[in-house]
Amino acid sequence: MGKDAARAEWDNPMQFVLACVSYAVGLGNVWRFPYLCQMHGGGGFLIPYMLMLVLLGVPLFYMELAIGQKMRLGSIGAWRAISPYLGGVGMASVVTSMYLCLYYNVINAWSFWYLFHSFQSVLPWAECPVNSNLTGPVEECERATPTQYFFYRETLDISGSIEENGGIHMGQALCLLLAWIIVYLFIVKGVKSTGKVVYFTATFPYLVLIIYLIRGVTLHGAINGVKYMFTPKMEQLAKPTTWINAATQIFFSLGLGFGSLIAFASYNQYNNNFEKQAIVVSMVNSSTSIFASIVTFSIYGFKATFNYESCLERVRLLLLNTFDLAEDTISLENVNHWIAELNRTHPEQFASLGGRLETCDLEAELDTAVEGTGLAFIVYSEAIKNMPVSQLWSVLYFIMLLLLGMGSMLGNVIAVITPLSDLKFISHYMSTKTLNGLVCLFCLLLGLGFTTRSGNYWFTMFNDYGATFSLLFIVLIEVITVCYIYGIKRFEKDVEDMLGHRLNWYWKIMLAGVSPILLIALFIFYIVNYIQGGTPTYQAWNKELGKSVVTEYPPYAQAFIGLLLASSVCCIPLTALYTYCKKRNLASGKRERTVSTVSA
Amino acid sequence: MLVWILFLLCQVGAPALAQDLCQRDAPNGYKVRISLKTALGEDAYEWNQSEMFFFQATMAFAMRRHFQMETYNVDNIILCVQTSRVSFWFVVTSPDNTTMLIPKADVEKAVRMSRHRINNAFLLSDRTLEFLGIYPTLAAPVNPDTPPWLIVFGVVIGAVCAGIIALLVSSLLQKRRKEKGMTEDGQDEEDMQVKGVENGINLDGTYNRGFTDDDRFTKL
Repeated sequence: MGKDAARAEWDNPMQFVLACVSYAVGLGNVWRFPYLCQMHGGGGFLIPYMLMLVLLGVPLFYMELAIGQKMRLGSIGAWRAISPYLGGVGMASVVTSMYLCLYYNVINAWSFWYLFHSFQSVLPWAECPVNSNLTGPVEECERATPTQYFFYRETLDISGSIEENGGIHMGQALCLLLAWIIVYLFIVKGVKSTGKVVYFTATFPYLVLIIYLIRGVTLHGAINGVKYMFTPKMEQLAKPTTWINAATQIFFSLGLGFGSLIAFASYNQYNNNFEKQAIVVSMVNSSTSIFASIVTFSIYGFKATFNYESCLERVRLLLLNTFDLAEDTISLENVNHWIAELNRTHPEQFASLGGRLETCDLEAELDTAVEGTGLAFIVYSEAIKNMPVSQLWSVLYFIMLLLLGMGSMLGNVIAVITPLSDLKFISHYMSTKTLNGLVCLFCLLLGLGFTTRSGNYWFTMFNDYGATFSLLFIVLIEVITVCYIYGIKRFEKDVEDMLGHRLNWYWKIMLAGVSPILLIALFIFYIVNYIQGGTPTYQAWNKELGKSVVTEYPPYAQAFIGLLLASSVCCIPLTALYTYCKKRNLASGKRERTVSTVSA
Repeated sequence: MLVWILFLLCQVGAPALAQDLCQRDAPNGYKVRISLKTALGEDAYEWNQSEMFFFQATMAFAMRRHFQMETYNVDNIILCVQTSRVSFWFVVTSPDNTTMLIPKADVEKAVRMSRHRINNAFLLSDRTLEFLGIYPTLAAPVNPDTPPWLIVFGVVIGAVCAGIIALLVSSLLQKRRKEKGMTEDGQDEEDMQVKGVENGINLDGTYNRGFTDDDRFTKL
């Protein structure tokens, strides 16, 4: 146990809590939860969400913190200590975290790009750029919207499909470099530096969210969005996908299975009261999700109302111009009345309007549910450009995205570095600073692949397949290991040693019974869904049409997806096999030695 | 008598002829659409015959400015098909021969040349004073030498690199000071083993838990 003696520690328990909050509260709270809320019946979605939090989220969070704090090692060392055959669980966590590190920082690079571009008098995504002969806007921008054009063409310079590789986008590469340098700055001195940084990364996003909440609810039309969100559609609760999505969201939102929580907890003092902290962090994470979705929906409402009123304005102008009526005859309120009127009085002229007459529908505008990078970088920037003093709001918003992303990145990188620095042969040869620098450099170089022209497609692949399935498997093995292989009794004793009181019945029932069952159900669902889904597809941006089209992955990309899934999952059986073989060799070697000693 | 009848006919015929020249969808004419309420809101002036006259004068000015040789007059601009939208058609006749119309292309060139002056005469813009068929030339994009984002990027990355160098140098100095035998700054005398160690490598000695503070339940 001499090694633990000199282990770095958080300055105080508050740093640990803020680190967990900073890690758990990430981009998913802002861009995935509001989408799920909208898709699964608004306010009604909170019921499965809260239930899954209590049944699945908090117990598993508690378990990971307990393991980290007890073993005082990163995920590889911790799991090897629990059961030598299952050291592969830790390794699988590290591999999955490595994948996450590679692609997650690209989002921060995009946030930096947008942030730097906000310092202009006219936001570049507010208007279409003019084409070369100055007659009108660029065609691609005309067919799509200016915000989509800015994201797909100017930010990503995206190619038509995953097969068409291009060169590296220099601006993106620079932003990625900056993102990794900042990550290095945050972790360079280990938990000493990280502990100070998390005071900022955990609290400042809340400040921005509050400012945005005030701004959001005072926007014209925001109330439409909030009303739409909170109107519960209870029939959605009958569908199993609602419950599965709630479970998945809780699971990934808390960041279970990556090894970050184990790593953070390993720097705790032995008697730290992690039970209270686990509950607090989980509650904070969920309430942030709900808070962020109020903000998101008021912005949705504003955007939908703005688009609806612009649509009405266009229709009004079209009617005025076609029928040559005086300007103040038709106002925005009586457009629909006039449409009926003019159809009745001038039917032929009305028919000549043909397809140019749009139907304006507020509900349809609100129904456009978007998640992920599309929400954060396209929908939000569209709403922001219509706000007064849009540069200020844009800067605030992207700083918030950056802080959320950086906070999560800290957890991801520490999940990789802690187990590596625990390995004796690495810590013998190089200091923490060098190890951190090497890991950051390695991830930067590989991450440059995501800044190429087809990089966004690879990013989506990693996002969809890199961590989802393997995590479920990892956490399932973790729970079964702790409860049945290590034994719930031994675990209880360890917790009593650390905290001073035994596990109460809630933890025991959840950890040993409910959570594994739920995890197995989720796991089966994922497999069934994957098999039923057919060939995996992705959204490719079509330049001519100005929108995304669903395209199938080419065979080598599908093979790569398989590799992604297999590489982390097979660590577990392979390590078990290796340990078993080693033990057998060792046992047979001992027997031989014993025999030879006797005979000698 | 005959002369008198001829004179009468001319008086009647001229406006009729003018009417023939200017009509809806005239091949050499342009439709103009004016949106006063959109442009000026409360301060919108009323569109009346005087304003129409002003328009004729402005167009005559535009034609004169473009062709420079020929003296166009208000009578050379014929307006018709006025609606309450406010929109109307106009054609331009040649000053030498009032039955001959100036071709569409020449009128377009004249309008493009003086578009800014015409707009300002009526306190309107390209969007609110529309010549249907003549598209306004859009402003050329401003291309600064250094894109502004690169400047902000440079500032941020400079600050971050300075921060890293400062951290690395300060830790190097601390290590050197420690090697000289002095205690690290800011370290508590009592718990020496654990605090301030950077890389988890063993210091001398083992940690004896019996001598820690007996604070079993750390507060949140």
